[in-house]
Amino acid sequence: MVSKMGADVVIAGTGIVGCLIAEQMLDAGLSVLMLEAGPRIDRGRIIENYRNMPPAAKAANPDGPFPPKPWALHPMEYTGDPDKDYLITSGPDAKAYQQAYVRYVGGATWHWAGTLWRLTPEDMMLNAKFGVGRDWPFDYSALEPYYTRAEYAIGAAGPSDPALQWPPMRSKPYMMEAFPFGSGQRRCVQAAESIGLQYIPCAQARNNKLAYQGRPPCSGNNNCMPACPIAAKYDAYSALLRIEAKGGVVVPNAVVYRVETDDKNNVQAFHFYDPNKTSTRVTGKTFVLACNGIETPKILLLSKNEKIPKGIANSSDQVGRNMMDTPKFFALAKFKDPIWSGLGPVQTGAIMSTSQGDFRSRYAGGQISLINFSGAGSAGLAALKQKLVGKALDEAIRRETACTGLIAVEHEVLPSAENRLTLSDKKDMLGLNQPAVYYDVGDYVRKGADLHTFPITRKFAEALGAEKVIRIPGFEASQHIMGGTIMGKDAKTSVVDTDCRAHDHPNLFLPGGSAMPSAGSGNSTLTMAALGVKAADAIANQTTRG
Amino acid sequence: MNTFDLIRVCVAAPLIAVFGLASAQEAAADDAEIKHGEYLAIASDCGACHTAPGGKPLAGGLPIESPLGTIYSTNITPSQQYGIGRYSLQQFSEALRRGIRADGAHLYPAMPYASYAVFTDEDVEALYAYFTKAVPAIDQPPAKTTSLPFPYNLRFSMAFWNALFLDAKPFTPDPSRATEWNRGKYLVDGPAHCGECHTPRGFFMQQDRSRQFAGAVLGSWHAPNITPDANAGIGAMGTDELFRYLKFGKVAGKAQAGGEMGLAVQLSFSKLSDDDLKAIVAYVRSVPPIGDAETKAKFAQGQPFTEVAKFRGIGATSSSEALPGGAAQLFAANCASCHGIGAGGSRDNYFPSLFHNSALATGAGRNLAATILFGIDRSTADGLAFMPGFGGKATDIAAFTNEQVVELANYLLEHYGNAAYSITPQMVEQVRIGQAPKPLLATLVDVGKWLACALAISLVLWWIVRRSSRTLV
Repeated sequence: MVSKMGADVVIAGTGIVGCLIAEQMLDAGLSVLMLEAGPRIDRGRIIENYRNMPPAAKAANPDGPFPPKPWALHPMEYTGDPDKDYLITSGPDAKAYQQAYVRYVGGATWHWAGTLWRLTPEDMMLNAKFGVGRDWPFDYSALEPYYTRAEYAIGAAGPSDPALQWPPMRSKPYMMEAFPFGSGQRRCVQAAESIGLQYIPCAQARNNKLAYQGRPPCSGNNNCMPACPIAAKYDAYSALLRIEAKGGVVVPNAVVYRVETDDKNNVQAFHFYDPNKTSTRVTGKTFVLACNGIETPKILLLSKNEKIPKGIANSSDQVGRNMMDTPKFFALAKFKDPIWSGLGPVQTGAIMSTSQGDFRSRYAGGQISLINFSGAGSAGLAALKQKLVGKALDEAIRRETACTGLIAVEHEVLPSAENRLTLSDKKDMLGLNQPAVYYDVGDYVRKGADLHTFPITRKFAEALGAEKVIRIPGFEASQHIMGGTIMGKDAKTSVVDTDCRAHDHPNLFLPGGSAMPSAGSGNSTLTMAALGVKAADAIANQTTRG
Repeated sequence: MNTFDLIRVCVAAPLIAVFGLASAQEAAADDAEIKHGEYLAIASDCGACHTAPGGKPLAGGLPIESPLGTIYSTNITPSQQYGIGRYSLQQFSEALRRGIRADGAHLYPAMPYASYAVFTDEDVEALYAYFTKAVPAIDQPPAKTTSLPFPYNLRFSMAFWNALFLDAKPFTPDPSRATEWNRGKYLVDGPAHCGECHTPRGFFMQQDRSRQFAGAVLGSWHAPNITPDANAGIGAMGTDELFRYLKFGKVAGKAQAGGEMGLAVQLSFSKLSDDDLKAIVAYVRSVPPIGDAETKAKFAQGQPFTEVAKFRGIGATSSSEALPGGAAQLFAANCASCHGIGAGGSRDNYFPSLFHNSALATGAGRNLAATILFGIDRSTADGLAFMPGFGGKATDIAAFTNEQVVELANYLLEHYGNAAYSITPQMVEQVRIGQAPKPLLATLVDVGKWLACALAISLVLWWIVRRSSRTLV
C-alpha cells in the first residue's frame, strides 16, 4: 500500500535548519510539510528522563534522555562494538566521530549547548590565505547578513563591546546583552590576560533577562545539555507550535529513505516509511533534506538506483566525503583554590584568538574554554567511590567540585576525501543501511594540539592556579557534523551550490552543516542556521516563481 | 515710518508683549494640564483596552470578550476620521461619563463609563487636553469593529440600562474623612475602575453595590475579593504589602498579579505616584469586609510537599509520552525547574512559592488554570516576571490538553492550595476560550430569542392555515 501526501515545500528534518526554513516558507505564503524520522516527545518527558538517569550515565552522553525508536536509531553511548553502535566508525580517530544527535522532533538542538560562534573571514579562506583546505565560494561579508538574520530568528545574547565580539564585523548588535560571567569564568578572564590572551564571552542562543518568542529568560538550571527544562535556550522544538499555528504540518515517525527523481533530474518525491514500514510518497515543488551531516548524506546514498548508481546529488562523488567536526581534547586541571564552575551557560566564554594566525599553513588553530558544567556530579561519583559518608562526603564533594576544572580545546579539521561516510552492511529494522564513517583527524590537528594549543592550555591552566594539568589522550567528538555534502562553485568537486542547492538537482536543497567547506574551531550551529536562511531565500524565490 | 505706523507700533508692541507673556503662561498651563491628563489616562488604564497587541497606541482594535459577544475597542487618538479628533469637550465628557458617542449612539459598558462618571470636570478637561493635543493621531480604523448579535446590537437599549444604573455623580470629597481616603476613593471608584472587575454583577450586568469588591469571574480570570475580610479578602495583607502589590505586582509568599491585573499593574498602577498608591490602599482597606464560608486566609493554604521519591528513577528513561508518576511527575517535569521540587519557589522569591499563594486559593482554581494555560508576562520597575504558557498557542512552550491541566491543577490545589477546590475540563475549556459562565440575562435572552422565533413561526403557520381554510371555504 502506498499513501500520498504533498505540499509546496517538503522538508525532511525538524531541527534548527528545517524549522527556520519552514517558518520562512510559511511567512512567504507557501504550504509546508515536515517529515521527522523520530517521535514527538514532550519537553517534560525528556527532562524527567534526564533526572531518572544514574549520575554516571548523565555524564557519558547527551543522548541519554532520548532513547531512540527502533525505526529511527541514533548514536547512544559509544561501545566500539559495531554490533551495538548505530553509527559505525573506524580509522585512527574512530572514537572522535561518535557524534551525538537526536532523531526526535526538534532534532539535535534539544541537547546543543546553545553557543553561537561565527566563522571569521579567514576561517572561510583557508586555501587562499594558508594554502590548506578549501575556500568558501563567497566571503564573510556575503554570509554576514544571514548570520544576523539567523541570530534574530533564534534570539541571541552577546557582548555589545566590539572588542569582545567574535568576530567584530557585524551589521547589527546582539538582541540581548551577554550573560554575566560566574566566578570561574571571571577567573578565566584574568588568567588569560596574564598570559597576553583574551577570554571572551560566547554568544548564546538563550534568553538573557528577556522573554523572546514566548520563551522565558534563563533561570540558571545549568543543564542546557541535554535539554533546557524551561526552553530559555532556543531549541527547534520550541518553534513547532508557531510553525503549526502558521499552517505547517509536522509528521513524526516518518523515515525518509528515498529521493525520487525524474528524467530531467528534478526531484519528484520523497518516500518515507512509517514504523510499520508502510511507504508514503510525498510530492512537492521544492524538496529540502535538513537532516544534519550524517543522515542527509545517508539518505542521498540510500536513494541510488540503476540510473543514478552513485546516489542522488553525487555526480561529483563527494557525497559523504570531507566529514568534519571540531575535534577536541580535554585537559583536566586540579586547582589549589576553589574556582567554581557551573554558574551560567555550559560554554560561557573562550579564548578564540588561538584559532587564528599564519601558523595555519602548518597546523590547526583551536579555541580554549573552561567548561562551565557544574562539577558536582562527577565530584559526587568520585567521592562515593572512596566510600565516604556524612560530613566527609559533603566536604569531598565540595572540594572536588570547587577545585576541579575541565578545559576543552576544539580544533579546526581540514576537509579530506578519505574521511568518508558510507553505507554499512548493517541494517535497521526497516532494512535501511546504517551509516559508517572512517575518520582521521590528520596531522594538521595532531600537530596543532601538540605544538600550539596544549602548550597554551597548560600556561592558561597554571595561570588559573592549577597544581596539576592532565591532557586526556586522544580526541573527542564535538557533535559539530560538517562536510558531507560540501559546497562549491564547481559541480565536479562539490555537491551543492552557494544556496545549498544540489548541483545535480535544481529543486533539491541540502542546507546545513554538511555544506560547510571549512570547519572553524567553534560550534557550527549558527553557520548551519545562516546557510539555512540563505537557502530559504532561494527556496521561497524559486518555489513561488513556479 | 509715517505717523500711522508709529501709532501702530506704539500700540502693538505692548500688546504683543502682553499677549506674548500671556501665551507663554498659557502654554505652561497647557503643559501642566496635558501632563495631568496623561497621568489620569495612565491611572484610567485607557491604553490597556484601546491598544491592540502589536498595534499603534490607543488606535483600538483589542477584542474584549463579554458574555454577550466580542467587543472591539475603538480608536481614541485625535484622528479626525477614525478617532475622537472632532469631539468637543462636551462630547468627550458625554462619552467618558455618560457612555454616549458624539453621534448620539450609546457605548457598551465594556467602556467603564459608569465608573468614569465620578471624574471631576477639571479632570475631564485635563484628559481632553491630553487626548486632543498630545496623543499622536493614528489615521486608521481598528482592524475589527464591534457587532454583537441581536438583541445586543440595539445600542439604544443601553439608554434604559443607563437610566437604571448610571447613578454616579462627579466626585465630591467627604469632609469627615481624611484627604488621603478621599483621594483613594476617587481613584478606586473613578480612574482605576476597580469595581468593574472586582464587584459581582447583578441581573442586568450592573455592579451589585451590596457586594462591592467581593470578587467576580471575568473572561478567563477570576478577579478576587479585595475587601478587607481576613480570609476571603485581602485583610491578611498589610498596608505596605498592598502598596508593593500595586507597584510591583507581587508580594512574596502571598500573591502575584496575572492576567488582566498583571497588565493593570504594568501599564497603570506601577506608574502612579507612591502617594496615590497609598491612598488607594487606605481606601480599599476601609470598605466593608465581605466574607464567605472560607475560614482560613487564602495566603495560608498549602505547605511544602513532594512525592518525587515515589517516581524518581522508576520507569527510567523512555520515549513514550506518558509519565509513570502521574500528576506528581507532571508537576516535576513542567513546573519544578522554576518553582522547586517542593513548590517552595526560589530563595529570592523571583519564582513564587505555590503554597501560601492566592492564585491557588481563590476563585475555585480558575486563576491557576489560566496561569497554566497563558503563563505570566508582567514588567515593572522590579523587572520582568515571566512564566511561559502551556496552552498550545503559537508562543507557548507546551500544548497541554484540558485533561492535563485538570490533572496538574487538581494536584497543585490539593497539596499547595485550597484543597476544597477541584476543577473540571469544562472549566479549563471556558478559561481557554476566555468565557465566563454565562449570566442569567444572556441565557434568558438566548431562550427569549428562540421563544420569539417560535412565536413568529407559529403566527405565520396560523395565518397560512387560516388563509387556506378560508380558501377552502
